[in-house]
Parts: sequence; C-alpha cells; structure tokens
Amino acid sequence: MSAAELRLGAVAYHPRIVTIWERFRIYFADANVGTDYILFSNYERLVDAVLDGTVDIGWNTNTAYVALDHRAGGETRILGMRDVDRDWATVLVMRKGQQVASVNELTGRVLALGSRDSGHAAILPLYYLATEGLDVESCQLLRFDTDLGKHGDTGDSELHVVRAVAEGEADAGALSAAYFSAFRAESVPAVADLEVVWRSPDYYHCNFTVLDSLDREVSEQWSKALLAMDYDDPGLRPAMDLEGVRRWYPGDRDGYASLQAAMQEQALLS
Amino acid sequence: MTGDPEQVAHRVDAEHLDLGGGLEILLTAAFERVAPGGVLEIRTPSRAVALELPGWARLAGHEPIDQINRPDGHVVTIRRGSSTRILAGPLPAREAGLPLRNGELHTADWRDRALAPEPDPRAGFAPLGAAPEARAPTHHWQLSRRDKVWADDVGELVDQASGQQWDASRDIPWEAARDLDDTTERAVAQVMTFLAQNEYAALYVPAGFLPQVNPQLVELVLWLSSHVHDEARHIEVFTKRSLAGGHHGYALASTELSLSTLLDEHDFTASSLLLNVLGEGTFLDLLRFIETHAPDAATAAAARLAHRDERRHVHFGISNIKRTVSIDPDTIAPLVTAAETRAAKLVSLSGLSPVLVEALAIMAARSLQPADLSDAAADVRALMQTMERNRLRRLQACGFDATTARHLSDLHTPNLM
Repeated sequence: MSAAELRLGAVAYHPRIVTIWERFRIYFADANVGTDYILFSNYERLVDAVLDGTVDIGWNTNTAYVALDHRAGGETRILGMRDVDRDWATVLVMRKGQQVASVNELTGRVLALGSRDSGHAAILPLYYLATEGLDVESCQLLRFDTDLGKHGDTGDSELHVVRAVAEGEADAGALSAAYFSAFRAESVPAVADLEVVWRSPDYYHCNFTVLDSLDREVSEQWSKALLAMDYDDPGLRPAMDLEGVRRWYPGDRDGYASLQAAMQEQALLS
Repeated sequence: MTGDPEQVAHRVDAEHLDLGGGLEILLTAAFERVAPGGVLEIRTPSRAVALELPGWARLAGHEPIDQINRPDGHVVTIRRGSSTRILAGPLPAREAGLPLRNGELHTADWRDRALAPEPDPRAGFAPLGAAPEARAPTHHWQLSRRDKVWADDVGELVDQASGQQWDASRDIPWEAARDLDDTTERAVAQVMTFLAQNEYAALYVPAGFLPQVNPQLVELVLWLSSHVHDEARHIEVFTKRSLAGGHHGYALASTELSLSTLLDEHDFTASSLLLNVLGEGTFLDLLRFIETHAPDAATAAAARLAHRDERRHVHFGISNIKRTVSIDPDTIAPLVTAAETRAAKLVSLSGLSPVLVEALAIMAARSLQPADLSDAAADVRALMQTMERNRLRRLQACGFDATTARHLSDLHTPNLM
C-alpha cells in the first residue's frame, strides 16, 4: 500500500464484500488510482470515519449518505452510484386477491416493516404512505429490526416482512422492489402468493460519498475509473454481479430529497 | 419519462401470466427480439404485475421506462440493457443437424469439422459445439495435442464399446461354475485370480490418463471411460469366477511387480504400447486359450466376453501408435526406450510363474492323469508360441519394422501383462 492510496470505507454486511473489494482494489490499482478498503460493521461507524478522515470515500446507503451530508453541513460530493441506485423504490405487498385501490384502505391494519434504520423498508414507506394520505398512526406497525446498523443491506428484515404477510401476521408489508424481485427470482416460497399493491416514487439508494475537502482532481480521477468499469469484462463481471451493478453512473443529490425530509420528520437526523 | 410509441421495438401481451408464474420466461424470449437500447412494450391486465415489472427489469439488467394505466389494462415499457447475459459471442444459426445411419446417430459422425490439432489447453467442459462463456475458470490439460493421443477410428470404437456392454452378474451361466472337481476348480480359481489381478492395472492405467485429457478431445474421453468400465467388469467377472466354486488363488508378487511398472509409465503413447498392444494383446491369446479349454461354461463365457472387450483395447493401441509413428517417426526411439526401461525393472522375472503355468495346464487337463496333463502342457507351450507370433504381428501393424518388432516382443514381460 502506498501513501498515495485512497481509503474507501464499506460495511461488511456479507462475506462477499471482501470478494468484491479485493477485485475492485486490483481494478483501481490498474487504473492508477490506488484504493484500499476498510470494512466497518455498521454505517454509523462508517459515517464517523468519513467525517474524521479515517477514510476518504464512504460507500454509503442512502440513509448513511443523508446522515453524513447533514452532519457535514452539506459539504459532501457524490462520486458515483450503481445503475440500480438511480431508480430504487419501495413496494407494498399483500397476499394475492387482497389488492387495495388506495393505500387509505390500510387504515387500522397491520403493516410489516423492515429494520428501522432501513431507508427503503421502514423510513421511506412511512413517509410516502403518509404523503399519499394513509393515517400511519392508525396502523399497527410490525417491525423487524434485524441487522441494525446495516440499513437493510442484508435483506434479512425484508425476508421477515414477506413471511409475516404470507403467514397472515401482517396485512401488508413494505420492502424494496429490488429485494422483492430478488426473492421472486430465487423462488423464495413466502413470495409465491404475494403481489405488489403499491409502488413508491423512485428515489436514490447507495452512493460513494466524499467530503468536499477531498482534492477534486483526485476524486474526479477516481470517479472516472469507477465509471469505466466494464460489465462485459470477464474479469470484472463476477465482482460486479456480487455488487449488483452492471453500470456505474456519476450520481447527484436529486433523488435524496424524500429521504432527507423523511429522516427530518422522523427525528433521525442529529 | 414518457414512452414514445415510435420507439417501441416489440410488443408482448402478458395476458394472465404473472412474475414467478412464467411471465419472466416470456419476457426474456421477447427481449431476444429487441436490440440493446430498444424498447419492449408489455401489456398486462394486472395492476400488480405492472407495479412489479420495474423491479424485475432492473434485476434482469434492463431499464424500466414508463407505466401507463388504461381502462383495458396496463402498458409497461422497458428498455433493453446493453450487457449480454452470457459472455460469449452469439450462437450460430440453426444448422442441418447430424446425419443418421439407418436411424442411428454414430459418434464418428457428430463432428461437422475435423478436430483441431491443438485445442485450447485451458478449455473447460464445453460439450462439442457449445459456445464457452468467457469468465469460466480455466484448466491446464496435460493431454491436449491431438497428434499425441488420437486414433482415427476412436469414434467407431466408442460406439462399439457402448454397443457391446454386458452384465457380469446375469450374462454368465454361473450355475455351471459350481460342480467342478476339487483339482480343476482350484486351478480355475488360480487362473481367474491371475486375470483379475492383471485387470486392476488395466483399469488404473487408463483411469490415470482420463482426467488429463482435454475435454475437447471428447471421443478420447469417452474411449478411456469405456476402457475403464470394461476393466471394472473384467475385475468383477474374474473375481466372481475365482470365488464361485469355493476355492481361492494367490495374488502373485511377480505379477504385482510387472503391473507396478505399467503404472510407472506416464507417457500416453508408451503406455498404449506397453498396456494395449503388448499386454492386452498377449492377453487376447490367453483369453482365447481359456475360452477353448475352460472346464465349465461360466469360465468360457467370462473369457469370451472379456476377449471381445480386449480386442477393442488392442485395436485402439495399434491404431494410436500407427498414427503417432506415421506422423512422427521420431517417436519410435522413445517407445523402444520405454519398453527397455520397463524390461530393466523386470530382470528378476525369468518366465511366466510356474503357479500359473501349472494352473493353466490342470484347468485344460481337468485332471491330474499323466496323459491328460501331457496334452494340456503341450497346449500351454503352444499358447506361448501363439502369443509371440501374434505379438510380432501386432507390433508390425503398429508400424514397427521386423527387427524392432522382434526386439520389443523379446522385451515384453514374462507376466504377459
């Protein structure tokens, strides 16, 4: 490791994170933007590390990004995000045949949510459903606070959500469209008899965040290398598949407004 | 974003299919008719499907564009992603298909072009005609060059091997092996033990080469597999016959020494000479002798069926060496050296074990009466002459001149295999 290397922080929510970043580390070295990675067990610690300079780049969830940006007084820059991060969405699922014409029909019913620190499975569903007129206070919230600190990355709490709905423990459940589709593709038994009754507006999910103080030329060089990753490169595809990305995009702040408002409203920003 | 109907490249009506219930298969097939960047329009009567499609699209590498709700249903538009699902070029267009011979599809007919002399030594288990995906792990096959291992009729031999399989439990008249007198049965048990012991080496040698063969040389893979399978059955049938009558035989140390030198040979062609041509070739004459002189129908059947298999093995050996030697005459010298090296390790052997010679004679005589034994001993001596004569003939068929053939035959192990 040379002193010139950038330090990137990521959260080890699964053993595959090591596989991904070992490969990406070689990729960035080959692209002459040496990048070492440091793994954290939770996003709160990662945000601290970006703020105190332990790492230069944080590979953040949307919740972590909004918290970081808030604490940095808005003085952050986004260096890139995945294709899938640009139109992330939350869906509400119910057992087949229980379709509701409007989310208002869920008044007073049991709503299953994922980890309370998950933007897509807890924070944004409450925000959007309220925006669409549901009296969330009237609902009985069935929360699955598993893997706290991972911001819903593991998908574990969302698996609990679909099971709770499938088994009738909850009337409806919120989770990311991405995880619901992944459960469907993996033929997870619990989703066989579920269907989507509502989909939120699109919002942004993960991004690579740096403090404004990071040398702009360095960060642009890093961003350029990131965006040049080619999914058709046989040497890169396995790691990109593990990361769930086919193409990297520059990213911007536009898709984080709803989460920022939601976290503000739910007193999650300090 | 709003979908522009002008840009729609293909439309599909999902009817009542849903995701998880077959719609993804229909969509994958429909996207094959859309160029990367082109737009697929999906109509569905289900609001739930329309709401779920964007998530599916992202997971499948496409870009959801728009969803329009109409009184008669929902219209979802998705842009095809630019990445390929499989890291390989497109598959070739459908071809004419393989030729048949009277309704049979022969292994010799399944290549539409000749095997390349140097297939990629790192190739994987891509079946004949398959397009290998780029990111597959690579191998390093020791036996990869066609001209080091090939036989021109290996495809036909594979078909013969498949067509001539037999069952050592059911295809032998085992009842016939139960009533021999004590002397004859003990001799049969010794002869069968000797055969089974030798067949272990005949199995282990091709089995050792098998995982070294480049899968692109698929006929050779199938051939060696059939060789291994044949020998497994020979071990089985001769072991069964040795035990069937209640007697036991000796596994001789001299035989073990001879066989261990076969395992020492790691060159494919040299092994082909030592095992297939010289060893199994000599065994052909031995098996014919046993079949002719067998005291019971079970022993005769076992020898006859094994003989049929060994003929194929010998044929491959001759065909392989003939091809190798004709392409590169310089391979003759190392082949002779291999035979000389093996013979040097076997200097302590001075002839076929008396234990086996006696057992063969008693088996053929079916008694210890002097007159019977005299005829049988003469038959065994004649067998040795037949073995030598046929060995020379086979070596010359391989392409060795008469002098070299004589030299190689003289070097051959007294153990026969």
